[in-house]
This record gives sequence, structure tokens and C-alpha cells, in this order.
Amino acid sequence: MKKRFIMLLTVACVLAVVSSAFAHFMVVYTPEIAFEQAEDMDVRILFTHPAEAGHMMDMGGVEEFYAVFQRGDSEPKKIDLKGHLKQIEWTNPGSKAPAFAGVIPRKEVRSMGDYVFVMKPGYYFEKEEDLYMQQITKVIMNVGGVPGNWSEPVGLPCEIVPLIKPYAMWTGNVFKAQVLSEGKPVAGAEVEVEFMSHMPDLKTNSMPEASSVEYPHDAFITQTIFSDDNGYITFGIPKAGWWGFAALGIGPDTEHNGKELSQDAVIWVKAVDMK
Amino acid sequence: MKKLLILCLLAAMLTLSVQAFAHSPLMSCFDNGDGTVTCEGGFSDGSSAAGVSMHVKGADGNVLIEGKMNQDSEFTFNKPEGAYTVVFDAGEGHSVVIDGSNIVE
Repeated sequence: MKKRFIMLLTVACVLAVVSSAFAHFMVVYTPEIAFEQAEDMDVRILFTHPAEAGHMMDMGGVEEFYAVFQRGDSEPKKIDLKGHLKQIEWTNPGSKAPAFAGVIPRKEVRSMGDYVFVMKPGYYFEKEEDLYMQQITKVIMNVGGVPGNWSEPVGLPCEIVPLIKPYAMWTGNVFKAQVLSEGKPVAGAEVEVEFMSHMPDLKTNSMPEASSVEYPHDAFITQTIFSDDNGYITFGIPKAGWWGFAALGIGPDTEHNGKELSQDAVIWVKAVDMK
Repeated sequence: MKKLLILCLLAAMLTLSVQAFAHSPLMSCFDNGDGTVTCEGGFSDGSSAAGVSMHVKGADGNVLIEGKMNQDSEFTFNKPEGAYTVVFDAGEGHSVVIDGSNIVE
């Protein structure tokens, strides 16, 4: 009996250690981000560890969800999209949590140009570390091939600004971006990178158990890069699909409800194989 | 002197043609649902289409409406009766034609 208890305890401890190795990622997912012509966009918002279809977390609601649209050098325009979201439950192997779903109608995104989608969640309380997390997340979409503001900051407390068209990346391209806090470059920012190895299933609102990647070692699940003196990060994209980048604890807000807050900036990009 | 001029001309032509290859014209049109159609233009390098000539042609090829893209690279016109095409005309090799039947809300 005692032996079994010790074994269980050991397993629990190992699990706890392993799970804290997974990176937290706010996922703002829609299947396509490069459109010839606009279509209705099916969107899901969830907080999890995407490389492992890991633990689902309650993001604490959505504070803001909008897009900043620009075509060429015209004036950027803000389109509020929060009204299109409704709360759902998202299921991963082993856990569930509140998440959000919505269909953005074609008429909201039908103009040619860039749409920088911004999702500012509420606060997630991480018991183990006794701190709050808030990951402000961007995904950039294009309609019709006329570029706009994809390389411009949209004025978030903290954000990752791409220097390569994030909706037109080939597998093997180098993703380059600048990490900003209150508009200023962050030197030495720790940026975690994960691959979406369990593709979200929009019909069942879940991530499948099967992974598209075999990780030879836990260290490969979450890759870590640091920004240089001018806040720039570079990362070679080895595989087609969705890649998430999370710059940790770089935001100006450091406290929430009397506890430590990690205000992070997340961006999702998609790479496509050259055929 | 004459040679230099020709060289300069050639260089200018090369520069221009390179620019022409680097961007392609793009247009997208929507039926506004109120009897009007709006077309947006642009170039693949993000440059503005303001001032680009626009033609709306009938089925017989006659020009029904003529105009230019406005400051915002947009052109709105009253939807013609029957079949029509919209032409974004930014010069040779830089035009886009959209058939009215493909223009939806």
C-alpha cells in the first residue's frame, strides 16, 4: 500500500514538473489567413499548450476582439468583432475549459488589404506559480494580395511585430519580428515557440490525441529564443503549419488583484509548403 | 553626347519595366445591395490606385460609365441593367477586368 502511494506520488510529481515545462499559448485559430476573396471566417479562441494538446485553461473571458484593417497606405480602420463571439467549451484529451467561437461575416472582412486581428483576454490564474497571466494575441490575415499594415504595430501594451509577411510564409523561411512593450523594443525578451501539432477540430471544438510531430526530447516541445539588443527575434520555420510565438512577461502591467501578472505578447503565423 | 542620352533612356526604361514587374494590379468589387457597386483597387506592393481610370462596359462593349479611383482607391457606380464588365485600367499590362455576374454582395 505504502509502495503504491509512493509510486503515485512520484508519478504526480513527475507529471507536475513535466506539465510546467509546456508553454502557455493563447490560441486564436482560423483555418485560412490568405484569401483571394473574402469568405466567412470561422474562429476559435482557447488557452492551452498547443504542441501537446495539453491542459485547457480558463482565459477569464475576452476583454477585446477586433481587427485593424489597412489597404496600401490608406488610413487604418478598427473593426470591432467581439459581438460575433460566443462562449463554448473546448475539450482536449484530459481537460476542458471555457473557450470562444465565432463566425466573422464576409462583409466585415471583404475589402482587399491586411487585417490584424487582436484578442485581449481576461486574466488566467496559475495556482502553481501563484500568478496571473494575460496573453495579448495577434493573427494577421490578407484579402486579395494588396498589403497594408502587417509590419506596423497596432499600439498594444505589448506586441510582436513581424518583419516578414506572416500570411505568406514558405516552409523554411525565417520568421523575423520585433518584440515591443509600450511601443519600445524589448532587448533580451524570452520568446517561447510552439508548433500546432494537434490541429484544432472546429466541428467538435477539440484537439485530437494524435500529434503530427514526434518530439525526441521534452526540450523540443517548446523552443526558446531571445530577442537581440533591438528587440528582434529570428526563427527558421522547419515545417508547414501554424507556429505560435509568445514573448513572456514583457507587458507594462505587472500586477493584478494583488498578485504578480505576466503580461505576454503572442503571434500566430502559418507556413505553407512550396510545391 | 547622343550615346549618353540613349544610355540614359535605356536605363530609365529598364527601371520602369522592373517596377512594372514588381507589382501587379488588383481589383475587387462588391454589390452594395442598394443598386450600387463598389470596386476597390490596389497594387501588390501596396501602392495606391488613386486616379486610376475605371470603365464600366455593357454587353456590347460600349462604355456605360467612366470614372477614376478616388483617394481611398475606391470607385462606386450605379449598377447597370443587364450584363456588364468593370475595367480597372492602369495602363498596358496593368488592367483588371471583372465580369458583373461575379460581383455579389
